[in-house]
This record gives sequence, structure tokens and C-alpha cells, in this order.
Amino acid sequence: MKKRGIGLGCSWYGTGYGNGFPDVSSAFVEIHDDGSATVLTGAVDVGQGSNSIFAQIVAEELGLEAQDICVYSGDTDATPDSGTTAATRQTYNTGNAVLKAVRQAKSSLLVYAAREFSCPTPEGIELKEGYIGVKGDPSRRVPLADLVFQARLRGERFISAESSTARSTPVDPETGQGAPYWPYSFGCQSAEVEVDTETGVVQVLKVVAVHDVGKALNPTQVEGQIAGGVTQGIGYALLEELELDEGKIKNPAFSSYLIPTALDVPNIEAFFVEDAESTGPFGAKGLGEPAMLPTVAAIINAIDDAVGVRITSIPATPEKILKALAEKNGEVNR
Amino acid sequence: MIEIKLVVNEKPYTLNVEPSERLIDALRNRLGLLGTKEGCGEGECGACTIIMDGKTVNSCLVLAAQANGSVLTTIEGVGNRRSPHPVQKAFVEVGAVQCGFCTPGMVLSAKNLLDKNSHPSETEIGIAMSGNLCRCTGYDKILRAVKIAAEEGKQ
Repeated sequence: MKKRGIGLGCSWYGTGYGNGFPDVSSAFVEIHDDGSATVLTGAVDVGQGSNSIFAQIVAEELGLEAQDICVYSGDTDATPDSGTTAATRQTYNTGNAVLKAVRQAKSSLLVYAAREFSCPTPEGIELKEGYIGVKGDPSRRVPLADLVFQARLRGERFISAESSTARSTPVDPETGQGAPYWPYSFGCQSAEVEVDTETGVVQVLKVVAVHDVGKALNPTQVEGQIAGGVTQGIGYALLEELELDEGKIKNPAFSSYLIPTALDVPNIEAFFVEDAESTGPFGAKGLGEPAMLPTVAAIINAIDDAVGVRITSIPATPEKILKALAEKNGEVNR
Repeated sequence: MIEIKLVVNEKPYTLNVEPSERLIDALRNRLGLLGTKEGCGEGECGACTIIMDGKTVNSCLVLAAQANGSVLTTIEGVGNRRSPHPVQKAFVEVGAVQCGFCTPGMVLSAKNLLDKNSHPSETEIGIAMSGNLCRCTGYDKILRAVKIAAEEGKQ
């Protein structure tokens, strides 16, 4: 018989290495005389899209388009260290370093521009739509490229190097108290499953996922990370079992270590909540790992809701579910 | 060495290959077609998918000599920057690419599905794409992109 159930899972997750470990990201920025800018950072984009995020951050700050920004990343010969692409930290940590760097380069540009425009303070200068000029006076502005070009001829350069260190203190080893991470991301997911009581096979029918991302700098990427996380969570809950024999992996192949395919994924509805994080770049915080965490709890709870068995070790394989069902029915029959 | 003749992306080639040489190696090393990716090398992940005589195959499981006389399409033969294939256009539009390693195989599986069935149902799309593993995207946007490409093909 096929039985359906719904379950809920919630998560909170700290961004960065945590527990007082030095968590530092760095970036170099240069604003060029063709109206573009370059960012150098050690952060590695493995497909999650950090290079796009850094381009967006710099573009936003300089009033340019993201395609005007060249992000050169992940080269130990040339880029400053920004730590690992792990711990849900690149948008937040390296994003902060890139933001600090572009603001530093921009501040010397603003000082130069204030002089050029005879503006009493650099605060009176704005960068917008590829132009630089006096705030609120469209007649007094020039293309950014022209101003930087003129500046270069006079020997001025708009270059910066900055780094950003995440807030983290080690927990007290005696009491376990402390503030190991900052910030935290929050998420909640609900899953509907169908359990086949004859075979023990669980099919996930639908997942609704809601995540607090601070600010979605790139909503398409946020949706992609949520869907990717949910799918990894489905694998974590139902399929993926690393078998070890004296420390050696017994199933190091896709034929024996199963991950979800297109047929295993349900309809995923991804939503995000934007509650700006005051310490994040433009309010953003991390989402990478948090997206897969509530899925497991939601699925295990949904199985319980469907057939009334509590699976306490993952993955919830058909064998485990059939065994749990048999034990439950044995109890009932007794 | 064995002499084979084959057509790759509409160009005829004559190659001398080792008897044990895999098709993926002939494509990548002899023809320089690096768009075909090797993932698992054992026919499970679909990253090396190409179209061979109208069927998708894992090019890591086909010997180059077996491709003698065949017509092949690799990702290099599907659209280009200026004029992308509808599947590629839809992938870009919806953001179906994350790390990109599965993408060439995904695009070829989708193209072959749409070549044969211009009105696929959601289940048919799922089945056609289920031989290609992806670890980043959760398939959500990939499946949506194939659906969009199919709908555009109908118009």
C-alpha cells in the first residue's frame, strides 16, 4: 500500500569557520581608465557563483554594470588568500573583503573627483550609470572612464588591498558557552512523501523550502542553491551511504554510492526571506550548506507521518523502513 | 592501430586509433574536442554523453573503433555563442548551469530528446535526463530549461 505523509524540518547554521578560528578573506581592486574595474581574490568559484557576486558588489559600488567588472580568482600566484570555498562563507566573508576593497579604491577616486569638480567634500560626488559627478547636478558629470584616464595622466591610481575578518570567539571548553559564529542563517522546509509499505521505497513528492538569506544579491543563484541543497538533502536522507571498511571506502563509485537523479527530485518550491544582516555585504549572508539541512529532518518526519515509524539512522533505505514496519506490526499483533 | 572513418559535427574524419582506445579519448585527444567531459569513466554520470547515430551514448563506454562509420554530435556541434541552440538559450535564461561540468552532456541529452519528441511530457523529460547526474543544481532549473526549450520549439 502507498501511504502519504508530510513533515517539517528547521535549521540554523553558522557562517564561516567559527570557534575563534581565524577566518580572513582578502581582495585587491583597481579601477581602470576604460571605465572597468578588476578584482583579485583567492576565493574559488566552484559553480556556486561567487565571481558573479563579487562583480555585482563592485559594480553596485561604482555605478557600473556587472559585466564591466573582471573578477580574477583562485590563483595562488596572483591573488590574495581568501580561505576555502567552504563553511558557507564566500558571499559573506569574501563579499565583505571585496566591498571594503572597492570602497577604499573608491574613496581616493572620490577625493580626486571632488577636487576636479570643485566640490567641497568627497561625499558630494556620486558614481552612477558609468558616470562620475556632483550629486544632484546632472550637468556636472563625466564618464568614469574619462575621469580615471585624466587621473592616470597625472599619475593617480585607484588601487586598493583590503581584508575582512569574521567575528568569532572560541567557546569555553568547560561550559561550552561563547559566540562561535556570526552570522547565523535560518531555514525551514516541508516535505511530502509517499511510502510504499510493500517495498519500503520512499518517493519525495514535493519540498517547500524557505531560507533567510539576509539579502539575495542574486536571486537566481539563491534559487539554484536551494534546489541543489534540497536535492543533496534527499540523497542524504534516502540514498547516500558511505560504506567504510577499516577506513577504506567500499563504494567509491556512482554505481554503488547512489546520488539523486532527475527522476528522484520532486517539485521544489524555493522561497527566501530577506532580513538584512547588518554585518554582511549589502545585508547578505551564507546559504550554501544550510539549504540541505532541513530536508533530512523534513523527510524523516514525513515518513513517520505516513507510516508511523521513526527512522533514527540515515539513509532511510527501503530495508530499514521495512524492518521498522515489521517491528511495528509485530508489536501491534502481539 | 585501426583506421576508422567517422563524421563528427558534420565534418568527416579518418583516424588511426588504438584497438583499446575509448571514443571519449579519440574525441578529446585526437580531435581536440574538449567539450565532452569525463566524469566517472564507468557510464554512470553521463558527463561524457554524445549523440551517436541519433542515440545518446556514454562516450567513455564506446570504443573508438566501434564508432567506425558513425555520425556523431558533440557539444561543439550544438549552437555557438552567436546562435545558441534553443536548449542552450533556455539553460542560460533560467540559470541552469552552476559548475557546468554536467552541462554538455545535459544539453546533448535534451537536444536528442527534443529531436525525437518535440512535445515531451514532464515524465518523458525526467526519464530522458535521468542518465545525467548533477550535484549542484538539484535538476530543478535544468528540467525547467528543457521544458522551455520544448515549448519554444512548438511555436
